[in-house]
Amino acid sequence: MSKWIPLWLHKLGSPPIFYRFAGTLRPWFLALALIAGAIGLYGGLVLAPADYQQGDAYRIIFIHVPSAWMGLFIYGVMAVASFIALVWRIKLAEAVAMESAPIGAAFTFITLVTGSLWGKPMWGTWWTWDARLTSELVLLFLYLGVIGLYHAFEDRRQGARAAAFLAIIGIINVPIVHFSVNWWNTLHQGSTVRILGPSKISMDMLWPLLTMMVATKLYYVASLFGRVRADLLELEGGKDWVRRIATGEQATGEQA
Amino acid sequence: MPVLYALIVATLFPFALGPEDALLQRIAGGVVLVTVLLAMLLALDAMFRSDIEDGSLEQLVLAPQPLALMLGMKILAHWFTTALPLIVIAPLLAGMLHLPVQVMGVLMLALLLATPMLSLLGAVLVALTAGTRRSGMLLALMLLPLCVPVVIFAAGAVAAAQQGLPWVAPIAWLGAALVLALVLAPLACAAALRIALDA
Repeated sequence: MSKWIPLWLHKLGSPPIFYRFAGTLRPWFLALALIAGAIGLYGGLVLAPADYQQGDAYRIIFIHVPSAWMGLFIYGVMAVASFIALVWRIKLAEAVAMESAPIGAAFTFITLVTGSLWGKPMWGTWWTWDARLTSELVLLFLYLGVIGLYHAFEDRRQGARAAAFLAIIGIINVPIVHFSVNWWNTLHQGSTVRILGPSKISMDMLWPLLTMMVATKLYYVASLFGRVRADLLELEGGKDWVRRIATGEQATGEQA
Repeated sequence: MPVLYALIVATLFPFALGPEDALLQRIAGGVVLVTVLLAMLLALDAMFRSDIEDGSLEQLVLAPQPLALMLGMKILAHWFTTALPLIVIAPLLAGMLHLPVQVMGVLMLALLLATPMLSLLGAVLVALTAGTRRSGMLLALMLLPLCVPVVIFAAGAVAAAQQGLPWVAPIAWLGAALVLALVLAPLACAAALRIALDA
């Protein structure tokens, strides 16, 4: 029991096995993400009551808050994968780290856009130099820096390792930026949902929010698997297992 | 060259914003800091370039002395040739923008602590891009998140001094960060260089 788990993980690190594993799981994750997203959005947009102060405008949190969580969560995943990639030089970890970056950047961008859409009626401005907004923007720049550095190298694996190093520098930087801009200027409301202690949000609103959080996580995994699969095919192009997939798919395509 | 660049940028501000004393006085500290930062960014790109082109960087990597120590010396040399001239003309720039004389000391102190930070952090990023061809824009993109806290604390100290508030706290934060960077940045720079040169 205790022996086969490390063995299984070890095997999973090999590109062909991960390719098949991710291919099998990806449709399930995608389907679950869509179902959870549909339930969460229905619950959030239709079932949940309007806010006593903000009216219906608050409903943007069902997109905004899960995206913001994902922006940070994916950065964490990217940094951990980067660390693994740098220390043990595992090809799969490099692919995971580098393919996470565009997804994380997209979530961060969605957070910024939905936030400013909400800010216009609520704060009366599209953008303000508030601490949280600024740190979110800096997070987006960190993502873009990682993506840019990865693509600046001609050799992809070398680029991945340089960008992984940048991701690790970035994760040291995130809390520093967060605290320094907090000290500088803040307008954004504090956290409402807490893991420790009671949340300051009604149950009717909380469950769609948490469902959306699950949906975004599942979507991330599905998207990551798809991207990593494509990346592995490209990285390993010319190897035997890729050739077999390419010719095998062609053969079945001709039959059909 | 960076000095001339800083002078030009600082000269452009009054043209763009109008020559009123009160406005210039209020923004002077921030403008000088940002100008110095941009001028340093301009020079950062060239930090390792000639060494890569003539192959002496590989000799440094192969040398028996610790790479981090030698890179630390390179960063120090870079700071002497780029940042120090900028610090010397900073009072001139600040004076052109009517920064009050009593705040000048705080500005100089903030620059003395902030510019080595920028050299150290910038060196790590330059080392990461050492294996790439074009890196100017990329370097700016990567440096921005790292220099946000530095700018906030340095400008915060100047602004506090201008309003007659105590300014020691942000300066102390800058000093603490500088000590940390002084220890860690050369090591990170060496690691980054090894990755970028695939050594």
